[in-house]
Amino acid sequence: MKAAEKIEIDRRYCKGCMLCRYICPFDVFEPGEQRSDLDYLMPRPARIDNCKVCGLCESNCPDMVLTVVAKEKGKEKE
Amino acid sequence: MNPLAEKYLRKEFLPFLFCPGCGDGMIVQAFLKAVDDLGCIDDLAMTAGIGCSAWIGVYMNVDILKILHGRAIPAAIGLKATRPSRKVVTFTGDGDCLAIGGNHLLHAARRNIDITVVMVNNQIYAMTGGQVAPSTMLGSKTQTTPYGNIEKQLDGCRVAIAAGATMVSRWSTAHLKPLIKAFKTAINHKGFSYLEIISQCPVQTGRYLLGSGSPEFNLQWIKEHCVKEEDPSQWEEIEAQGKIPVGDFLRTERPEFMEEVQRMNRRVKEEQARGGDR
Repeated sequence: MKAAEKIEIDRRYCKGCMLCRYICPFDVFEPGEQRSDLDYLMPRPARIDNCKVCGLCESNCPDMVLTVVAKEKGKEKE
Repeated sequence: MNPLAEKYLRKEFLPFLFCPGCGDGMIVQAFLKAVDDLGCIDDLAMTAGIGCSAWIGVYMNVDILKILHGRAIPAAIGLKATRPSRKVVTFTGDGDCLAIGGNHLLHAARRNIDITVVMVNNQIYAMTGGQVAPSTMLGSKTQTTPYGNIEKQLDGCRVAIAAGATMVSRWSTAHLKPLIKAFKTAINHKGFSYLEIISQCPVQTGRYLLGSGSPEFNLQWIKEHCVKEEDPSQWEEIEAQGKIPVGDFLRTERPEFMEEVQRMNRRVKEEQARGGDR
């Protein structure tokens, strides 16, 4: 099973619509406390251990700010 | 930032002017995914009219003409006529395509000219503040219909099929995979392709028509109300329940306009060389 190393959210362009939280089948995101450069509250990948790198949040992000970086093969179980 | 955005967007225009949670950004990404898979970014040329959805093409690093309200399709026809090698794509909205530009849609479909019209349907005039559009549902309360809309909505797919388009599809922002596939089919299709996308507009449609401005609620509404049904004879039943049929409705072959023009030119030249006047 794939695992995510990190989920990058570009703070320059995020508008905090929270569609990533809605679309995620593994409940990775929650509303964060940090504000983006456009002054919206950004989501926070709080439960990143649940992430299976399905890419749904990436392809559904309306501002194209999300990137899921997968762990390299062989390192999943660390 | 998404790798597709890194590769194909005009960075100097970012951030998108779309409201938080708008479906147009998802359409940008789906279109770029289709173009990336096909590898045809350099062959593309776009036209756009006025409206939120007309901005979709502007953010991509492609040649684009921004035209008067409703006139994106005539400009696309002109572009295709002068540069037949380019793949011409037009992003237009429901007001742009069905209201002020409705006539142009009919005649482009009738000619079967090889352009792709992507109609982003958010069921309202969103950019100007939420007035009633031809695609607004019956009974909806908007800024200009405070007592409920009494006009029946205009179905773009039915219009395109009747006018003679050779590829007609309707998908939504809740169906991104089939949408990407439909983009690929439409770009490669020889003839007039009409692709309608039901898109969420949390700020206008959501607040005034559906009752919530939350992007999550609006995407859920689309997911619940779009039913896959590709047989037009079943549509009335689905629409009676207040739902929207989606799917790949039509794909046929008919002589393409620019090929017919070139054939006519050759024929006339041959006739003239033989001494005839036509």
